[in-house]
Amino acid sequence: MKDIFKTGIILFIICAVAAFALAMTNEGTKDQIALQRQLANDAAKAAVLPSASSFEDLDEAQNAEVSEKFAPVAEGYIGYDADHNIVGYVFKSLPTGFGGAVEVVTGIDVEGTVTGMRMGNHQETPGLGARAKEPLFYEQYNGMSASDHIGVAKSNPTETDIQAITGATISSAAITSGVNASIDAYHFIMGN
Amino acid sequence: MNIKNLTNGLFKENPIFVQLLGMCPTLAVTTSAMNGVGMGLATTSVLVCSNMAISLLRKVIPAKVRIPAFIVVIATFVSIVGMVMEGFVPALFNALGLFIPLIVVNCIILARAESFASKNSIMDSMLDGLGMGLGFTIALTILGSVRELFGNGSIFGVSIFGAAYKPALIMILPPGAFLALGILLAIYNQAQMKKAR
Repeated sequence: MKDIFKTGIILFIICAVAAFALAMTNEGTKDQIALQRQLANDAAKAAVLPSASSFEDLDEAQNAEVSEKFAPVAEGYIGYDADHNIVGYVFKSLPTGFGGAVEVVTGIDVEGTVTGMRMGNHQETPGLGARAKEPLFYEQYNGMSASDHIGVAKSNPTETDIQAITGATISSAAITSGVNASIDAYHFIMGN
Repeated sequence: MNIKNLTNGLFKENPIFVQLLGMCPTLAVTTSAMNGVGMGLATTSVLVCSNMAISLLRKVIPAKVRIPAFIVVIATFVSIVGMVMEGFVPALFNALGLFIPLIVVNCIILARAESFASKNSIMDSMLDGLGMGLGFTIALTILGSVRELFGNGSIFGVSIFGAAYKPALIMILPPGAFLALGILLAIYNQAQMKKAR
């Protein structure tokens, strides 16, 4: 009985010290981590909408409406230039690819041109779907017109198509569906 | 202090090629040489810290609860490494983010705590952690290089076979991990047997 008590106390002390060390580390790094996440987030948005110099989230009601109506779109942001004029919108969508949800960030400017696409977190197959991270693939979206949906072609893409990654048609189609949903969300917001 | 504790982990008791410890992260992360290096070094830093802490506490921790105590110590170090890395070296964290929590469940760390650090002095435990960690890093790098070479035609992102090479994708998919590991183990054992004779 006494033994159990002593053992328990020692284990408790070890856990308490560990918890304290973690709390201190968290206290010391949380601002820095938040800053880094913010920077990474901004960098992704800036990459797809280069003309914007700052971004703001869509207001909550609008964000909820957009993400409900235009799934897999999850979040929207407004891009402003230096004089605080709206220059375009950025949408984050989560279509389902070959290995689960794929994070697709799409930028569309107020002229109705897709200004960029990037794939964020994903579980696509390395060497196949994961190649959507390569400029050769994602640059195809730059300058596409947002007046219509973008198609996916295995070969000989037309002006409104992108060329699918060889052997990764599902990933290519999933990403394009995220972009297309973003285009729909964009028209909805522009229409309001 | 005994320098042999350092060299033991490198070849004679290499965690991957001899002890076959930590197979789960080994097979999962070695799709490229760079991933192998990153995972290996992150594991090494946790292994050195946890070995030292456990050696320091070896007279305090009651035998009955040593496993939970070890796990708490290891998980604490992993979380600290993860938080510091995310805050101050985000580029490295992005490359390794997924693997850092995996270190907690890496049985090399628990195995060294149990079989070495809980019985030896702090300096010896540090050397053991360093040796085992570097042995793990070397093994992961070799495995990652082999898989990247055949699966992608490159090593550390540098193309070796040229653009005309049609990569054997299976090598960077999960089955390739088993194939590469099995062949490497066979080569390693063959070399060991020759030495013994």
